[in-house]
Amino acid sequence: MSNLKNLTGPLSANNPVIVQILGICSALAVTVKMEPAFVMGISVMVVTAFANLVMSLLRNGIPSRIRIIVQLVVIAALVIIVDQVLKAFVYDVSKQLSVYVGLIITNCIIMGRVEAYALGNKPWDSFLDGIGNGLGYAAILLIVAFFRELFGSGTVFNIRIIPESWYIANGGFYSNVGIMLFPPMALIIVGVIIWVHRSFNKDLQEK
Amino acid sequence: MAKFNVNSNAYIIIYSVVMVVVVAVLLAVTSLSLQERQGENILNEKRQQIVKALGENPAAVSYSDVVAESVMLDKSGNKIEGKTDADIFAALGDLTASFEAGEFPIFKAANGCVVIPVYGAGLWGPVWGYVALEPDMNTVKGIVMDHSGETPGLGAEITTSKVQSSFVGKTIFEGENFVSVSMRKGGATNNHEVDAISGGTKTCDGVNAMIKSGIEGYLPYINANKSNK
Repeated sequence: MSNLKNLTGPLSANNPVIVQILGICSALAVTVKMEPAFVMGISVMVVTAFANLVMSLLRNGIPSRIRIIVQLVVIAALVIIVDQVLKAFVYDVSKQLSVYVGLIITNCIIMGRVEAYALGNKPWDSFLDGIGNGLGYAAILLIVAFFRELFGSGTVFNIRIIPESWYIANGGFYSNVGIMLFPPMALIIVGVIIWVHRSFNKDLQEK
Repeated sequence: MAKFNVNSNAYIIIYSVVMVVVVAVLLAVTSLSLQERQGENILNEKRQQIVKALGENPAAVSYSDVVAESVMLDKSGNKIEGKTDADIFAALGDLTASFEAGEFPIFKAANGCVVIPVYGAGLWGPVWGYVALEPDMNTVKGIVMDHSGETPGLGAEITTSKVQSSFVGKTIFEGENFVSVSMRKGGATNNHEVDAISGGTKTCDGVNAMIKSGIEGYLPYINANKSNK
């Protein structure tokens, strides 16, 4: 099953965020809480999958001179549809994600996969490649958001993990780590993830 | 397919036209089919902000539990008859126009408090909010503010409960004179002021102007109901 490799490759060995270092910007912005990170991950996955599918279906008919424009139109249209759907069904989350949904258009993962993969491969393979890369992106977002929400707010998916009675305000000894809520901490966590990941994958280490 | 020259000018133009039309139709259909739901969400958010301004938790109590009636006032503070709830919420969508037209939406709570919508300009874009007054029409019961593009960590702090709760209990009248509540740089000095946000002075100025000019339009109504007490 070579198809399966399209799906599982981007999860670890070829992860878009920690190996290809694409899409870092939104990874910093939407990972304060698990919920927006989850919705953002799903949104990006939908867009990468369908952008890959559509571009792969069109690949033989696209005039190469306007190739990039066609890609942009397809991706932008998909992102607008996702944005509209979010506004209609998960309004609160869509407010939290604000401009970052619109900025999926500029997410390097999507254009990168369309240009590097979908234009030269069959629709089904491309679709799986899109899903795989979206999942890889979502996985990193969720890992980062897990640590940021747990230590920054004491919750996971808005469910309280660290008991209220531990907090100094309630006579305990614990206090939330404020810096976790700021973007630089996301960068540091992504850095730590890359470090751990490479120490297990020796072939990725630069000499 | 292969017989076509996919790089000829005619093909490129036709391709672009077809693509744009297809995408336009697709987006129009999506937008139209989701419009109703999105409108409902926006309306719901306004209702929740009104509930929040009254100091209640929107997750626990619903709009209809707290707000007894919504009324449209004219310039002299009298009720304009024949305005439905939908008209009043539509007016919230473009408050500037509705103020200019001499229409002032107000929300009366069951416990005698009133909620006044206000609208103004921050540093980068519009700011808006709801001011709730106690039945004495003088004390601020609560305030909710939102913005579209103020700087996170500075001006955008106006959306935090820390800033908004500092307005609670402040008074808008000094004796008989309307003085509004304002955010003062350097710290509050009396009961008509709250602390401004460091680094967010321009936004605070916008908020001050918003609250003052917003409440001013309702003064005839406020004065009439204040003297009753």
